Amino acid sequence: MLRFRRFSTRLLLLTLGLLATALLATYVFVTRANRANAIAHIEDRLAADVKVFWTSIEFRKRFLAESAKVIARDWPIRTLYLQEQLDLTTLRTTLASYAGRLNTDVFATFDEDGELLIDAEASLTREHCGPFRYLIRLADENAWEQNSDFSYIRGKLHVLIVVPLYAPEPNIIGWFGIAFPIDDEFARGLKATTQAEVTFTSGLTEDTKRVLATTLTPEMARWVADQAPKELKAGGQAMVSRLGAEQYVTLYAPLELLAEDPARITLQRSLEVELAPSRRLARMILTISAAALFVASLIATAVARGVSRPVRLLAGHTRKVAAGDYSARIALEREDELGQLADAFNQMTAGLAERDRVRDLLGKVVSPEVASQLLSSDLKLGGEEREVTILFSDLRDFTSLGEKMPPAELLALLNRYLDRMSAIVEQHGGVIDKYIGDAIMALFGAPVPVPDSAARAIAAAREMRAALAELNRELTAEGRPPLAFGIGINTGRVVAGNMGSKTRLNYTVIGDGVNLAARLEALTKEPVHRATIIVSEATARAAGLPGKLRPLGSVAVKGKSESVAILAVDT
Amino acid sequence: MSRLAALLSACLLAAGLGAAPGAWELRFIDQQGEPVPDAVASLVPLDAAAPPAATDRPEIMQEGQQFAPYVTVVQTGSIVVFPNRDTVQHHVYSVSKARRFELPLYMPGKAEAVTFGEPGVVVLGCNIHDWMAAYLVVVPTPWFAKSGASGTAALAAPAGRYRLEIWHPRLGKPLARDITLADRNAPLGYTLTLKPDRRIRRPTDPKSGGYK
Repeated sequence: MLRFRRFSTRLLLLTLGLLATALLATYVFVTRANRANAIAHIEDRLAADVKVFWTSIEFRKRFLAESAKVIARDWPIRTLYLQEQLDLTTLRTTLASYAGRLNTDVFATFDEDGELLIDAEASLTREHCGPFRYLIRLADENAWEQNSDFSYIRGKLHVLIVVPLYAPEPNIIGWFGIAFPIDDEFARGLKATTQAEVTFTSGLTEDTKRVLATTLTPEMARWVADQAPKELKAGGQAMVSRLGAEQYVTLYAPLELLAEDPARITLQRSLEVELAPSRRLARMILTISAAALFVASLIATAVARGVSRPVRLLAGHTRKVAAGDYSARIALEREDELGQLADAFNQMTAGLAERDRVRDLLGKVVSPEVASQLLSSDLKLGGEEREVTILFSDLRDFTSLGEKMPPAELLALLNRYLDRMSAIVEQHGGVIDKYIGDAIMALFGAPVPVPDSAARAIAAAREMRAALAELNRELTAEGRPPLAFGIGINTGRVVAGNMGSKTRLNYTVIGDGVNLAARLEALTKEPVHRATIIVSEATARAAGLPGKLRPLGSVAVKGKSESVAILAVDT
Repeated sequence: MSRLAALLSACLLAAGLGAAPGAWELRFIDQQGEPVPDAVASLVPLDAAAPPAATDRPEIMQEGQQFAPYVTVVQTGSIVVFPNRDTVQHHVYSVSKARRFELPLYMPGKAEAVTFGEPGVVVLGCNIHDWMAAYLVVVPTPWFAKSGASGTAALAAPAGRYRLEIWHPRLGKPLARDITLADRNAPLGYTLTLKPDRRIRRPTDPKSGGYK
């Protein structure tokens, strides 16, 4: 299978190939059907022509027999016949006169036993007259008024007719024998009636085959004689053959002869003549086909261009989009599928640009893990209960600090602080859930579960404390007042998930565990504890550190019947 | 050739009959301007009775399966002999009003004589040879002539008033006019409107197989 890089080439070849195949099939079918029809039609006509031949023969036989019967009643011929001494010379000249009346070349008389007396040309001998004798004997035995058949006289095919000579009826005193030749003139006469080429041939074996009469040239007639089939059905046999430059349909029909091998009447009609109208039709089909192929190639090229140009445009735009350029828009002023595709492409590009922008923004607003989970397809409202470690930090007296500082500077300070803290949380696998003013709520173990969330949270808290000390050194160097904070950490089962309305969602956690974390952070403000970081017993246990932390006793927690043991992370 | 010779002899015969000084010449041509042989001219006297017929017996013979001569003129009351100088029998007959007769099949060498007492044209045929035909013109006057191959005929009759009658086998109706003959007369030309020749063609030598 050929492969083409260009769609237009493929469409063009496919269209032209299909069309050409269909047209060629039509042409071949029409041509073959026409030829078969023409042959069948010619065969029918040839069969009718054979009937014309027989009718013509019958007509001439009847005409000659009736005429001969009239002549046989002439007075002088009977007188001549019955003279004491038969005057053959006078009889011959009389027969010549009769032959002139009938315009026939063979006119002979026979005695009552069928023996030849004389013929008009005095050219027949007894040996020639076997067929006449046979016909006379049959007519005599059967009391027929006439008898006739085909036979050869002096090697030429004739139709022989015999009628009795009465003196008076029914006393037969002799017979007339007349014959007309099946010669070239007869063939031409038949051709004038039928418009078919006519040939009479004899002989069934190669060395005896010969042409008796024909309307064809000698060479063509010779060929017809050579091709004559040996065996023939009564209806004859038709064949298609090429003679010279033309094709002919040839019908061989049998011609039974008296005591001889049968002869053949061969009728031919030109297939070319019969096919001439259908040849014109075939030429017209070819012309129309060529025109159709030409027009189809123009249309296919136009259609292919109409498709491939926007497709190439789309491909180019796709490459741009792949390279990150979402600004490209395709303008296709069309209503069809390609137009729809272009619209869809434009929408897709816009969607991609929007999504890119959202992802960018989301990364800034929420933590990368949350953003990635939000952007992944399993975004759903509601949530799941899981064990999460929640870290709460809050700056001390930040509000009062704000009263002494311009807002922009305050915000810059706050952001500087939050930036460092957030970085530490994220370094330890935590997720910034939200900023609440100067407070930070961070999650460990959500949305991505981690086995050691409590330990990570404690480690993050320690580092935050160290980072705050570092920040305070910087602030002191800058001549600003230092900051102080407290951190509360709790581990517990909470509900995590996307919460909010259909149009606006927040990934967060809710539950008593969250409240407890916030409560522990608040406890760091109590001087009695002398602690910056307070964790619940659950967190300490989860982190595997209960013995290494300083117990601070128990506190009652709102909404819980039992008090909760708390511990301080000092170092 | 034998027919042409017979015609010539008939011309001479006719000229001999009217062998008188100051013979009157008639010239016959057809519509194509060709000379017309076998045209018969006769002068029937208007003011006196015609002299009686001569006693000689003209012949119309059968030879080579043809009559010869083709056209013969005799005076009323003449006896014509029909000798068969052929090799075959003939059956001569006439069905013309002027003289009906039949000479049934008679052998070569035989001759039959027939008297023609009424004027008119007698067409002769042979019952067994369709192509054989001859004309015998019977006229009530001894002054008659037949044109030869050159289309001329010479009439010789005493001066006086006559009815001139012209006949030819292919002429529709005979032509007739009254004329007065002087001792010397200027030649007279006739243009005859002839019908086509309908004579039957006969087979020639049987061995050649053709027709002439």
